[in-house]
Amino acid sequence: MSRRDMFAVVFFSIVCMFFIFSALLMHPFGSPDETDMDDMIIKNTQRETGANNGVTSVVFDYRGFDTLGEATILFTAVAGVVLLFRRMKET
Amino acid sequence: MSEMSKIVRTIAAIVFPFIMIYGLYVIAHGHLTPGGGFQGGAIVASACALLLVAYGSMWTMRRIGEKRLSVFESIGAFFFIALALLGLFFGAVFFNNFLAGSSFLFGDIPMVGSNTGDMNTGGVLPLMNFAVGIKVVAGLFVIILVMAYASNHMEKKRGEKQG
Amino acid sequence: MLLEYAHIVIPIFIVATSIFAVLLRDLLGAAVAVAAMSLLLSLEFYILQAPDVAIAEAGVGACLTTAILIIAIKATKRMEEEI
Repeated sequence: MSRRDMFAVVFFSIVCMFFIFSALLMHPFGSPDETDMDDMIIKNTQRETGANNGVTSVVFDYRGFDTLGEATILFTAVAGVVLLFRRMKET
Repeated sequence: MSEMSKIVRTIAAIVFPFIMIYGLYVIAHGHLTPGGGFQGGAIVASACALLLVAYGSMWTMRRIGEKRLSVFESIGAFFFIALALLGLFFGAVFFNNFLAGSSFLFGDIPMVGSNTGDMNTGGVLPLMNFAVGIKVVAGLFVIILVMAYASNHMEKKRGEKQG
Repeated sequence: MLLEYAHIVIPIFIVATSIFAVLLRDLLGAAVAVAAMSLLLSLEFYILQAPDVAIAEAGVGACLTTAILIIAIKATKRMEEEI
């Protein structure tokens, strides 16, 4: 067994151990540790934003800056792809 | 990509409106049912990709140029940021939901708890859903369109070199 | 009870399709395996009660990514070369 294989085996066991321990420490489904923010949003979202869908009201209202960043990422990706392939079209 | 056989083209033309209507439904009901601008935009872009595969990139490029799609994407981004800035003017902060609770467009407040759902609620959320929907449709479709057109062009050039 | 079994069976299928995507020499088959993995992942998201993420995954992962991969394979070579 070469040195590279030894390193791979050790690294693989460490990653496996990490995953197994985090699987053992997992909470039961639907009961997270901290529930303050969830409860506040679930209680107030219909009264404050007027939307029935809580997820959309979080995405576009409570956490609007995240959506703005996502839109910027999409814009940058499209600009890069069009810049790359338009030159291919002309030449 | 050159165009496919007549069977594929006919079936694509029949199926296309149904996928389109489902995507527009997901965008328009984003504040009531699961989904929203990004999800519905991805579905509508899938419908456009079906047309691109069936009819070929030359035909699609003649119908919708990539310049027009870029303009649509910029329009979506502009409306999104403009709505956020209107929140700064009419309310107090950036991304303020200034239409909710006002007796204007989309201004009703639903009953708290489970209800049947009303289209006329949600404040700026439906408008933002439409802006992001236009942006995502144009953005995701222009990527596939430009890639397919460039690949078709390259293949044709390779064929000319060999023959 | 059925849902408990689905939580066990669907991740096994996801892992199996991912292994197929890595191992296949035919790149077109690998792209289809990625699409199947994405569709099963969207089903898993749905039974984990996240329908928003499921719709986005089904639209982007199973349709648009596959289209991009197949266009890229068409512009290059279909079979993976032996190293």
